[in-house]
Amino acid sequence: MHEMKASSLSLVYDGSYDGFLCAVFEAFERRILPQALLPASRPLQLLLGDQQMLETHPNLAERVRKGIIRKSSPRNASLLHVAFLSELPGVELLLLRYLVKLFADAGGRYWQNMLDEEVFEVVQIARKVKKEVHRFNGFVRFQETADGMFFAPIDPDHNIIRLLARHFRTRFSGQQWIIYDTKRNYGIYYDLHTVQEVVLQNHRINFNAGNVAGEVKALDEDFYCRLWQEYYDAVNILERQNHRQMTNLMPRRYWKYLPEKNKAGK
Amino acid sequence: MKEQVLKKLQVLADAAKYDVSCSSSGSTRPAKDGALGNAARAGVCHSFTEDGRCISLLKILYTNYCIYDCAYCINRRSNDLPRAAFSVDELVDLTLNFYRRNYIEGLFLSSGVVVSPDHTMERLIAVARKLRNEHHFNGYIHMKAIPGASAELVAEAGLWADRLSVNIEIPSENNLRLLAPEKNFGSVLSPMNQIHQGIVVNKEERRKFRKAPRFVPAGQSTQLIVGASPESDFDILRLASGFYKQQQLKRVYYSGFVPVNLNDSRLPALLKPPLVRENRLYQADWLMRFYQFSFDEILDDNHSFLDPNFDPKLTWALRNPAFFPIDLNTASYEMILRVPGIGVRSAKLIVTNRRFGSITFTHLKRMGVALKRARYFILCRELPLQLKEVDPVYIRRKLSPSIQPKAVQLSLFEHA
Repeated sequence: MHEMKASSLSLVYDGSYDGFLCAVFEAFERRILPQALLPASRPLQLLLGDQQMLETHPNLAERVRKGIIRKSSPRNASLLHVAFLSELPGVELLLLRYLVKLFADAGGRYWQNMLDEEVFEVVQIARKVKKEVHRFNGFVRFQETADGMFFAPIDPDHNIIRLLARHFRTRFSGQQWIIYDTKRNYGIYYDLHTVQEVVLQNHRINFNAGNVAGEVKALDEDFYCRLWQEYYDAVNILERQNHRQMTNLMPRRYWKYLPEKNKAGK
Repeated sequence: MKEQVLKKLQVLADAAKYDVSCSSSGSTRPAKDGALGNAARAGVCHSFTEDGRCISLLKILYTNYCIYDCAYCINRRSNDLPRAAFSVDELVDLTLNFYRRNYIEGLFLSSGVVVSPDHTMERLIAVARKLRNEHHFNGYIHMKAIPGASAELVAEAGLWADRLSVNIEIPSENNLRLLAPEKNFGSVLSPMNQIHQGIVVNKEERRKFRKAPRFVPAGQSTQLIVGASPESDFDILRLASGFYKQQQLKRVYYSGFVPVNLNDSRLPALLKPPLVRENRLYQADWLMRFYQFSFDEILDDNHSFLDPNFDPKLTWALRNPAFFPIDLNTASYEMILRVPGIGVRSAKLIVTNRRFGSITFTHLKRMGVALKRARYFILCRELPLQLKEVDPVYIRRKLSPSIQPKAVQLSLFEHA
């Protein structure tokens, strides 16, 4: 049953994790390892061979999800989801190869074997994503609006925004906030009760600078932001200058929305 | 008014920066729904300064006025520099507004000593109490216990703070007397011991009554300055080891001496802070805390300074060739931890995965083992020559840095 034949077919799914799991289901049904497994949003013209756009059926996805849990553990199932959110090119095929081995495994311990190439890769990628989540627990910068909402734009490598919800929901349960992925154009909004996904329309935010428009900004916003910028400069010890270390720990690609790295006139 | 706060912030952040502790970890202060903040078990770095240090807390002095005249300190009373003092409300407001914007995850409050240790301690307590009681602030608070403050005040400070610290600063009594004539070891050790006792008693209380208030849940730490006085690395590690064992400190911080006060004949004339030495001390500290080394394995009377060219684990291995080579497929976790180039994570990976097959070079590389060093100390089928003995002279030559080590600082401050 687990002989999977290499195929020149490319499977295209809707980009969601459920959609991906349905593609996995499809590959197992046909016993093929497709040439590519791609979200519809990625440009396809360069692909040779046939493409097939798949539909997403939540109940099918659920079956695959349950299968993964049965063959490993709930924790491992969410680890795979985290690796998927990396959006790294080829991660879908890696996960598919992993799942082929997982479902063929009779011993029930395949997923624990870090000597296996696929297992190691998947764990490594999930670690990368989690590391970015941890970084953004720190790198998110809120701006207060006049109506007491706290808004933060982010631009992460991986699709981590849903993974940020729990930390911020716990830490900032007493204020309304939005964390918004300006690249993927969606965010999460906490309304003092629950966290939900939002897409902003008609927004008064400059996505390049990440600034909330002047007229909707809280009165003191600029003042505290300036205090923070000054604080950042004041705690630096010149005699210990170590720019390389700083950029290793806080790479340049993350500076876009950090006020301390975007001081006017700097 | 606003300009005034800005000025104070500049002066009092600048004056606080020589305290190297940035840690905001190890506490469990659960969030309350609707209130502001929590303390995460693993701290979160919120930014990094140009000197590569992490910012997780608003590190600030209540005031930089000081009645003391310690030679190594920028804030000593004989220095002619801008002085300032915050009001309690200003500090509370700053903390809350920085916290709400996620600039920081807590407050690190220290101070010069004004009027008296008790007076100063009271001001710090007032800030923390107001944050906790009036603003229901649940974020991390690290507070200095001011040497010489009364036991009652230190006890109260421990109720509001997650972590307390008393800095020993100079690693020997004699030199502390010389450089800080108004201080002595006793004034540092007595609050340290009191806090330690308090933590022990509190743990016992909380076992009996789960609702008993927490006392310094993230433990205490200290800092000592390296290179302002002539103590050896051996002296320093012995002292640190004692702090870990007796007072059960969570962390000892080593701060390479930055010559802030020129023209003081009691201090060495350093062109640059001794960053390599500081880094080696941190590595040795790591060996004590995570690698099960004792201080007298790392150094002894004949070797009283850490080798600037090799990390302390490698130095230890070169002095103890009989311990090696180690067979990764059979050796215990403790022994694998001692192999140069193998860290805690890779040692764990090796031990939990070798049941699936024998560990090869490819596996080791993937796990992040530094084979450049480890290869000389392990048994592995893929090695060209199956080595039976470890030759320290040969390895030393192979691994010697061709140039003098640069003042590279590893990411020691990464773990907030």
